[in-house]
Amino acid sequence: MPWFLHLALRQLFPPGKRFPAFATVSILGVGLGVASLLIVQTVMNGFGEEHRLRIRESFGDCQVTGAAPIERPEALAKQLAASPEVASASPYAEGPALARNGDFSGIAQVRGIDPTDPAQPARKYVYGGSFDELDDGRIILGAGLARALRVRIGDRIEIWSPAMAERAEKGKAPLPAEFEVCAVIVTGFTEVDNAAALIPLRRFREIWNLGPRAHGLTLRLKQPALAEATAGRLAVGHPELRFRPWQDIKKDFLAAIRFEKTMLFFLMFIITLVASFSIGSTLFSAVIRRSREVGVLASLGAARWQIVALFGLQGLLIGALGTLLGFVLTWTILACRDGILGMINRLFGGGDMVANIYLFSKVPLHYDATDFVIASAFTLLTTAIAGLVPALWAAGRKPSEAMRDA
Amino acid sequence: MPDVVLQARGLTKAFAAPAGPLPVLTDVSLEIFAGDSVSIRGSSGSGKTTLLQLLGGLDQPDSGEVLILAPDTSLVAPHSSLGRGVGFVFQNYQLMPELTALENVALAARIAGVPSEAATAEARSLLTQVGLGARLEHLPSKLSGGECQRVAIARALVNRPSVILADEPTGNLDERTGAEIMDLLLGVVAERGAALILVTHSREFAERATRRFVLSGGVLTPA
Repeated sequence: MPWFLHLALRQLFPPGKRFPAFATVSILGVGLGVASLLIVQTVMNGFGEEHRLRIRESFGDCQVTGAAPIERPEALAKQLAASPEVASASPYAEGPALARNGDFSGIAQVRGIDPTDPAQPARKYVYGGSFDELDDGRIILGAGLARALRVRIGDRIEIWSPAMAERAEKGKAPLPAEFEVCAVIVTGFTEVDNAAALIPLRRFREIWNLGPRAHGLTLRLKQPALAEATAGRLAVGHPELRFRPWQDIKKDFLAAIRFEKTMLFFLMFIITLVASFSIGSTLFSAVIRRSREVGVLASLGAARWQIVALFGLQGLLIGALGTLLGFVLTWTILACRDGILGMINRLFGGGDMVANIYLFSKVPLHYDATDFVIASAFTLLTTAIAGLVPALWAAGRKPSEAMRDA
Repeated sequence: MPDVVLQARGLTKAFAAPAGPLPVLTDVSLEIFAGDSVSIRGSSGSGKTTLLQLLGGLDQPDSGEVLILAPDTSLVAPHSSLGRGVGFVFQNYQLMPELTALENVALAARIAGVPSEAATAEARSLLTQVGLGARLEHLPSKLSGGECQRVAIARALVNRPSVILADEPTGNLDERTGAEIMDLLLGVVAERGAALILVTHSREFAERATRRFVLSGGVLTPA
């Protein structure tokens, strides 16, 4: 081990001292900074991932639509499902309608789906009732819409489609379609939960006079992350159709999540920067206190770069150990996150915010190696600079001055 | 005629002061030979420490030059031979507080490029020679002033320099310990064939050197 590394370690962790105050406080400061940075990033990643999953499950990995309803959707679904990149393809139809329960009414975004599809994502979001009871006489409502209509499971509602207005224009008596509410879903997307109404596709076609046609196809892909590229490949040979990957469906929302994460990284990085500055200032006072030792080292023949290394390494060691501590703190705090959140909720009486606002059963997490690499690199860089500045100052002094001024 | 191990010619040094440059040394010349022991006496503020720092390469003169015998037997500027051609003994010992006695001595050898094991072996041998064989693993805070100065002497000698520069080595010690340290310093330096330049207030200790000088008004004159 080079002598300056040995001395740096001894100065940071002096023998015979149970509590090396400078090293402990500095490492703790960096550790807390790194932990704040990584906890925020990991939770933000978790929220991002959770939202991305919901977008995919609510809208499919890729939506296929056309300028007009698709004439033979089942055949097209079969053709697309044959692609090795597609896991499944199912037709859907959707349109606005008036939903009514006596004196209460609301605008419903009715979607015709295949109730027998076991991969139907709505199954995951059933909050009350049963998805499997969905048939031609039953309907699944978003929680917000159910609230607006004042209905519960088992209540009946009327659906008035635009096709019924056409009947009225033709002089026929428009009769609403009647459904019994068999389930309520909560996806976490307000726009979905406040308007969603799911009925079997066959029934939708009847009410909307669609015949065998469908408004689009929902594709599940084998590699959803590559949806943009896959959509481009699937679109070849179908100029009349539009293939929209999930990243494009909620583009602005996803961009907002990314921006939020970047901003939080920036804000949390300031914490690490503050910790590094405090290390710099503490190291500076330590270097001044050790001026005489710097002069002695010079009198023993130590080169300037070795004196720089001696103090610079102390900054770097604090950074490295603080980063490691930050990793451990991050893992520990995140492992106990639900207990901590529960305690905060009990203390401040805010209820279960994660469940009530974000509609997640627990605080979501997603560890991203890139975040850890970036946080480590930034921390090591700033602490190394914090150590280098006083080190360069010390090494630049004449030994006689250093010994006289101490 | 013994070999010259240190040569100082026309050294002048002044420090900046609000009222203008304050001359500390004026045209100081000195020649030290192998095995020589030289004492320099002077009142406080007479420039003794400054002269020692110029001779050891810790500071640069305003004019004049210092040459010192390097291990390769050439005469070089002292700052290029720090830690090898010159060894320092300071009044306040100046040991590294976080290192043991053994590590303090070995550090000087490690800085001079001696491999760790050889440095430790040489440090152990020197500390035993100065009577600290049983105190090798003690930190400076656990040693007495006299013991600390013994460690400092061992440290100054570990790289077998041609000249030892001792700045008031007994200044912080009681009379008896001071006398012991002087005995040790003169004995061990002579044993190793190095020259000694001793800066001191004490007439008694100064008298023990083979050549004696007085520094007064920035001028060095034989006593």
